[in-house]
Amino acid sequence: MPDHDHAHVHVDRPLRLGVCGPVGTGKSSLIALLCRELSERLSLAVVTNDIYTDEDARFLRSAGVLAADRIRAVETGACPHTAIRDDISANLMEVEELERDYPDLDLVLLESGGDNLTATFSPALVDAQVFVLDVAGGGDVARKGGPGIERADLLVVNKTDLAPYVGVDVAQMRADAVAARDGRPVIALSRTDRDSIDAIVAWVLEVRSSHQHGLLVPVDPGPMAPHSHAGEHAHEH
Amino acid sequence: MAHPDLLTLLLADARLPVAGHTQSGTLEGAVMAGLGPADVPSYLRTRLLGVTRVEAGTAVAARRAVLDRRPLADVETAWAARTVAPAVRSASRVQARALLRLCTRVWPDAAAPLQAVPGASRAVALGAVAAGIGIAADGLARLVAYDDVQTVCAAALKLLPLDPAAVTGWVVDALPLVEEVVAATAGVADADDIPAVGVPQIEVWAQAHARTTRRLFRA
Repeated sequence: MPDHDHAHVHVDRPLRLGVCGPVGTGKSSLIALLCRELSERLSLAVVTNDIYTDEDARFLRSAGVLAADRIRAVETGACPHTAIRDDISANLMEVEELERDYPDLDLVLLESGGDNLTATFSPALVDAQVFVLDVAGGGDVARKGGPGIERADLLVVNKTDLAPYVGVDVAQMRADAVAARDGRPVIALSRTDRDSIDAIVAWVLEVRSSHQHGLLVPVDPGPMAPHSHAGEHAHEH
Repeated sequence: MAHPDLLTLLLADARLPVAGHTQSGTLEGAVMAGLGPADVPSYLRTRLLGVTRVEAGTAVAARRAVLDRRPLADVETAWAARTVAPAVRSASRVQARALLRLCTRVWPDAAAPLQAVPGASRAVALGAVAAGIGIAADGLARLVAYDDVQTVCAAALKLLPLDPAAVTGWVVDALPLVEEVVAATAGVADADDIPAVGVPQIEVWAQAHARTTRRLFRA
């Protein structure tokens, strides 16, 4: 299929942005933050994935950042990993239904259930994805790597305001992350650091803009390391 | 169209992307109420003598209705009347949406009759699709009953610490009763013929399960 046809497919519907990462790193809070920052400018909806029932959806609804009906929950049958990667049916159904119910949608945020370092979204489900770590999970996590840390479209090192209390050197953790990611963006985020909030909002708007212009090609971070062939560099997409 | 046996295998395959891994056939509700590993084989039998006959009979009736160009809505109503717990009806309809999404893509003509019954149950959706892709009534009933056994057993492996080989043994032991379900339902001719056998205890567990906040399975 020629590239310009491919581009049309993407322009016609809202950007689907995935947020994944281990349990407790602040995925729900990040989504609440993005909703607060963007809801004046964009028409938003959220799909949450929970291991247990719909607690993340309830958290977001109670935060009052979006109309309750724009926040929908997928129950993942104890397999949050499967629901965003191998069998994305339940998530696709919710996203497609939201897009039908709200034809003006600009951005659908999908929150994965908290899983381990190897959980990433299928590019058939999201156009771009953010992987979230936090300083409280340990300063060495970024160095351990993994598909999300190394190859998600954006890596967020969250809760930097907690660093002094957990003995983590944010600059070192960020440097480890940058080194692991081969030039892909890293944002060290804290809800108390306005500059970091502005940076992530700007990143989302930039991704949305390239999606609108048909320039965004969903990239699979893979659960596998990228293939490498003799005489070639590793694939980057 | 491919061989009906192959299509039946395809639909029975846990790898079919219809989010089957989110279902436990109310086993989780039963375990929460105290059912232990030793009780699972009798739980399987209870389902095969009860709710599974409603499901299989409904699927067969839906298949027949599509082939005879009669309204599917009557079959859906008959199923709902026999499926008392709202939690069970809701879980079935969520599963049907996933199945319908898949079938609309893969077999658009077979999925078309379901446009007339928005929010159809899984049994009606499966029966209508079976009519369109050439699966016979007995194969369809066998698929529904076998799938129920495997759903419960796969969930048992997540909920209870068990040797997978022992659980597969339970599946094999349940197969004669699966054939009895086939014998009892493959000849269902219309909605009135669908077995009306409730299992109130399973319905109670399903309702209680739907209200818990610490469940692993959707239903």
